[in-house]
Amino acid sequence: MTPLELRLQALGHELEVPPAPDLTAGVLEQLSLSGTRPFAWRRTAVLALALVVIAVAAAFAVPQARTAILRFFHIGGATVIRVDTLPPAVERKDAGGLGTPLSRAEADRQLGFRLALPRFTGDGPRRVYVIADSVGTVVVRWHGRRVLLSEFPSFGATSLKKLAVNATIVDPVEVNGRAGLWLQGGPPHTLTYFDRQFGFRETTVVIRGNVLLWVRGRLTLRLEGKLTRRQAIALAQTIR
Amino acid sequence: MVDRPLEETELVERARRGDLRAWETIVCTHQGIAFRTAYVLTGSAADAEEAAQDGFVKAYRALGRFRRGASFRPWLLRIVANEAHNRRRSAARRERLSLRAAAEARPGDAVPSPEAALLARENQEHLLAAVERLSDDHRDAITCRFFLDLTEDETAAALRVRRGTVKSRLSRALERLREELEGEL
Repeated sequence: MTPLELRLQALGHELEVPPAPDLTAGVLEQLSLSGTRPFAWRRTAVLALALVVIAVAAAFAVPQARTAILRFFHIGGATVIRVDTLPPAVERKDAGGLGTPLSRAEADRQLGFRLALPRFTGDGPRRVYVIADSVGTVVVRWHGRRVLLSEFPSFGATSLKKLAVNATIVDPVEVNGRAGLWLQGGPPHTLTYFDRQFGFRETTVVIRGNVLLWVRGRLTLRLEGKLTRRQAIALAQTIR
Repeated sequence: MVDRPLEETELVERARRGDLRAWETIVCTHQGIAFRTAYVLTGSAADAEEAAQDGFVKAYRALGRFRRGASFRPWLLRIVANEAHNRRRSAARRERLSLRAAAEARPGDAVPSPEAALLARENQEHLLAAVERLSDDHRDAITCRFFLDLTEDETAAALRVRRGTVKSRLSRALERLREELEGEL
């Protein structure tokens, strides 16, 4: 070491540094409250890849769609596949099919991540609907319309698959500088949840509104409702 | 000495499986260097405590991404340093570091004359002031490498840059300090 480097090293020992506080209690309290286990990135990345493969396989499994996959979009934890024919799907009524209604705190705990929400007046949503510990959904009102906001890990063990026919517009958009997809018009499209709690069981529901999908951090966010593209993006930009 | 990495590897492995007791041991072992790292980067005890604590929480959650067989301390310090940088950015300013009060000499120690001790302290204060005037990138490199005694690899990990970048930043920072302290060294 040069004389200057030795002086700098000595200076480090002469700095006024407060004694380190005991952090163990605070760390354990935070971890216990959140109930979070280490996130198995590699395992879930492999699962996510497997799910994409399954999504393609499932689409091909619909006989009419076997030769009719026209285009394939992937964003975060969601996959959009254009097909000629939609598979049989159930109608979703009100909150049915959105999962178990929970308090915000309980939902955050089960999901293992904190929901990003628009600026609500008051205390925010009273209920969060949770599917398979992975997809959290809240109902928000925007421009007088009821809109569903769903969030799920981009690389988690759960993934969403959308099948849309050719008449549905699927356009790339930008939300806060991040890539997104806008689905609008045409006949209803379908949404399939892959359920990690019960293996790869699929639940397919009919979606009649427009949908905005985008990625924020390690989450994929999804807005569904009768909003215009401009209204949906404006709402998405308020989500923090 | 050979046992320690093995023990830590085992603790990390247990924590990865959700064992909070194992993580508690890891926090106890590394909280000193984690707090010190956050403190010299933020200059604030409160920010350093928050950054170190949040760093341990985030590191636990990210254990799935920790590469087995890799060195744990640089990986942890990288997360803590990132938390410290975030706090420094949001505070928009950084508190200046200072020297601690001169320690009393123990009986039997060879003590310098009062004049020499005063001069040595003034020189160190001068050096610290010169470090504080460096750009953030250069000061962080000096801080991690010399004030925290981190290796170049650990410094690179903590600052999220390549080892070559650490070398060039250190070289330029030392050159700048030499210029400022010309005639004193």
